[in-house]
Amino acid sequence: MAIDKKLLSLLLLVSSLSSIASASFSDPDSDSDLTNELASLRSNSESGVIHLDDHGISKFLISSPTPRPYSILLFFDATQLHSKTELRLQELRREFGLVSATFLANNNGSDLNKLFFCEIEFSRSQSSFQRFGVNALPHIRLVTGSTAKLSDESGQMDQSDFARLAESMAEFVEQRTKLTVGPIQRPPFLSKAQISVIVAMIVIATPFVIKRILRGETLLHDHRLWLSGAIFIYFFSVAGTMHNIIRKMPMFLQDRNDPNKLVFFYQGSGMQLGAEGFAVGFLYTVVGLLLAFVTNVLVRVRNLNVQRLVMLVALVVSSWAVKQVVYLDNWKTGYGIHPYWPSSWQ
Amino acid sequence: MAAKKASPDLVNSSFSFKSLKLKTKQQELLLRVSILGLVYVLAFIARLFSVLRYESMIHEFDPYFNYRTTLFLTEKGFYEFWNWFDSESWYPLGRIIGGTLYPGLMVTAALIYWTLRFLRFFVHIREVCVLTAPFFASNTTLVAYFFGKEIWDTGAGLVAAALIAICPGYISRSVAGSYDNEAVAIFALLLTFYLFVKAVKTGSLSWALGSAFGYFYMVSAWGGYVFIINLVPLYVLVLLITGRYSMRLYVAYNCMYILGMLLAMQIRFVGFQHVQSGEHMAAMGVFLLMQVFYFLDWVKHQLNDTKLFQTFLRITVTSAILVGGIALGVGTASGYISPWTGRFYSLLDPTYAKDHIPIIASVSEHQPTAWSSFMFDYHILLFLFPAGLYFCFKRLSDATIFIVMYGLTSLYFAGVMVRLILVATPAVCLISAIAVSATVKNLTSLLRTKQKVPQTGSTKGVGSSKSSSKVTLDQSQPFHKNGAIALLVGVFYLLSRYAIHCTWVTSEAYSSPSIVLAARGAHGNRIIFDDYREAYYWLRQNTPTDAKVMSWWDYGYQITAMGNRTVIVDNNTWNNTHIATVGRAMSSYEDEAYDIMRSLDVNYVLVVFGGVTGYSSDDINKFLWMVRIGGGVYPVIKEPDYLVNGEFRVDKGASPKMLNCLMYKLCYYRFGELVTEYGKPTGYDRARGVEIGNKDIKLEHLEEAYTTSNWIVRIYRVKPPTNRL
Repeated sequence: MAIDKKLLSLLLLVSSLSSIASASFSDPDSDSDLTNELASLRSNSESGVIHLDDHGISKFLISSPTPRPYSILLFFDATQLHSKTELRLQELRREFGLVSATFLANNNGSDLNKLFFCEIEFSRSQSSFQRFGVNALPHIRLVTGSTAKLSDESGQMDQSDFARLAESMAEFVEQRTKLTVGPIQRPPFLSKAQISVIVAMIVIATPFVIKRILRGETLLHDHRLWLSGAIFIYFFSVAGTMHNIIRKMPMFLQDRNDPNKLVFFYQGSGMQLGAEGFAVGFLYTVVGLLLAFVTNVLVRVRNLNVQRLVMLVALVVSSWAVKQVVYLDNWKTGYGIHPYWPSSWQ
Repeated sequence: MAAKKASPDLVNSSFSFKSLKLKTKQQELLLRVSILGLVYVLAFIARLFSVLRYESMIHEFDPYFNYRTTLFLTEKGFYEFWNWFDSESWYPLGRIIGGTLYPGLMVTAALIYWTLRFLRFFVHIREVCVLTAPFFASNTTLVAYFFGKEIWDTGAGLVAAALIAICPGYISRSVAGSYDNEAVAIFALLLTFYLFVKAVKTGSLSWALGSAFGYFYMVSAWGGYVFIINLVPLYVLVLLITGRYSMRLYVAYNCMYILGMLLAMQIRFVGFQHVQSGEHMAAMGVFLLMQVFYFLDWVKHQLNDTKLFQTFLRITVTSAILVGGIALGVGTASGYISPWTGRFYSLLDPTYAKDHIPIIASVSEHQPTAWSSFMFDYHILLFLFPAGLYFCFKRLSDATIFIVMYGLTSLYFAGVMVRLILVATPAVCLISAIAVSATVKNLTSLLRTKQKVPQTGSTKGVGSSKSSSKVTLDQSQPFHKNGAIALLVGVFYLLSRYAIHCTWVTSEAYSSPSIVLAARGAHGNRIIFDDYREAYYWLRQNTPTDAKVMSWWDYGYQITAMGNRTVIVDNNTWNNTHIATVGRAMSSYEDEAYDIMRSLDVNYVLVVFGGVTGYSSDDINKFLWMVRIGGGVYPVIKEPDYLVNGEFRVDKGASPKMLNCLMYKLCYYRFGELVTEYGKPTGYDRARGVEIGNKDIKLEHLEEAYTTSNWIVRIYRVKPPTNRL
């Protein structure tokens, strides 16, 4: 124990040299001091996610001896990359905060101080990023009490672990730390005040709406509105949008062999990518509407040449679209659909 | 093929039968009837591919239960059937069959059977069951014809009949041998809708009465009746909102709702749900709303002062809504009105099932639909659908509003669950038929006006307003003719592709019974795996009659129907805990599983294994669902224990729990000695393409009793406990 303390103080010296800000912290004599400090930091931060910098990392992770009495789940953030939406950094950070808040709400007593949720930001803590060996984001790392080397990547959260956002993050945490996070408590979509205002407005508006309905002069009596709504529902269904929503399918994938190439079409029935469905749904809708247009609107056009031209375009576009869809379907399902001829013909 | 048949009516009717000296009307009638007759036959024979390719047998899983109950019904009579307590399934709980099934299908088949016997046709009940679905599909084409005639005209009706006769979305559930509730339910569904639309159109009590009886038949046949009892009120509501309230609507809806409800209550499985469950409340709400509308109408008639009426209106409507809301709230809070069931809820919020009810999410037909499935089941109907919608909106009536609403709601639900494509099929066929019929009619009438052939016949009525607008454009005649011909050729080309697609899909994809498996051999020859029946007959011949068999629930119905042995769980899935117990046994170590099996008096365990044949829907691939369902009730079972880095593996890298759980041991027992593929090590699993991780499996409490010739079904005997020392 004595050796431990000596080592600790030596490390502390090193770390305090690396940062001037250390003066503001009290000297942590033991593990419990560090834990208490983290707890107080946590109580001051939003949803319990502690913002660490290089100094904090060295203090709580490098200089503290293993085994530490706490684990730290670290979210690596970079403000400059927030603009790249495909990384989903901000969304993941929000979900991370949700997990943290849920953990705080569902735990009290000793378990509460066994796990801390922290984040570090790239522009202010570049050396820590190097220490952890992090050079790609998004990255979430669990540093357990027994992790000695920071570059040890065993605590890294896989892509699959935050695929389902907060829920899967919580599962990851529960699995690794044996602590319970509990069901994620998402803030309600609308607050209670908003709901009551909306309800009140609906109640007030009802008599007026009914009056207008009885007179027959609402938007609801407009055929075009209904028609476009109907076409939209049709498009929405046949494009497999429900499939995309339920399965949370991405719009497209990156090719595994060639990262610069994007995969828009997934081979294999029963699965689809987002963009793929919309493209095909669009083709369906175009052909159908062209047919309706040609037989109902075009015949009223007076100019002969316009009529001919539009007709030609419509025919070419429709046949191309049908061909394309049939080709895609055969390719996707792997079926070669062919007519049956009498065997004597072959 | 069929689509082509429907169209000559439009083209030929004016000139082809001149020599017969029939009047135009008679010609048309003759053509119509013969086309309908051909479509009727076509719908039946297209569904016989499965009998030709395999044999006359019952398919899949649920139909075996239906077959077993039908057999019981014909042998013991209706009274015994209605009061049947089945002790052979869900051991040791048993199942009250009469109170937990929709008897429509069985009663229908039994009636057909008794009729045939009365007419001295001595057929086996199995043949009747096998052919029930095609027979009702044929009847559906007739209903589709009348429905199409009702919403558009006879041409649309004929095209609709032809389209629905061969539409893969419908064929998938109605081939010969697929003896399931849907087989008669789609007929009942369409019939109810048709009669209701007719009732709304005419305002006649007799049609409304017919629709109530149609609804009764539907309720007795399939749980999907909930769709009717929600769509019809929704339709009425839309009519009310758009200012189409009428006395006809009032008569039709009230009669249909009240009578239908009273009749539906006679089905024990449904019982008082119509007044108690949240799923049926929309219908009741609309019923009350109708009364408010009627009352207002009456008051308006009594009060001549409009201002007084306005005030009165405001007070009545507000208080009616308030009272309704309070009643619903109190009913729900007091538990009198039950909340929505999981299946219903998962339709409205599709992500619900995935997170909350694994037993619903695990069924493959409850998966969401990708676009390719739509394409596969509808083909060109998808292209025609928007055009049909457009035509419907061009000629809005009570009937077209109904078909549009039916089409859109069911199409949305079809997007949520693959199996609901079936419900959407009639609507899609009808709306597409409108598109085809209206287009063809417009174009042919255009062609004929150019030829100066005087014609009346089929273009009379609807299309006339549009065609007359074209006739006035005299300058564009030459173009019109060319354009019309090009379009017609295009439409017929599409229809012929549709026929080809449907025939191919029916014969190759939808006609396999799934109890007998077929594969292509190395030389292109067909190999038949008949292992399921082999195993079930072995059970029947070689085990004591009171033996209890434990298997995953998928095989429960087949074991009781074909093996005639008691099972622990079956496809009814009414008791989640019981299924979870079996799931837990399958995913525990052998000694823990032994205790569970002892407590359930299990004598035999049956597993389905595809490692030798490469059959991919076996128990190992279903295993994670067993873990999930088991873990949902017994938290000792944890899914991560069976995964390695979130991956499900059976090879050397698999998790230790996986390698030693009961399911793994039973599937791979002695498999390590077997060479399955040339050039691969022993114990190479062909279904998953890996060498298994545990080749030295020793069983302690179970022993192998029987393994079928291709190892697809493996049966183990549970040893009695050893003597106490």
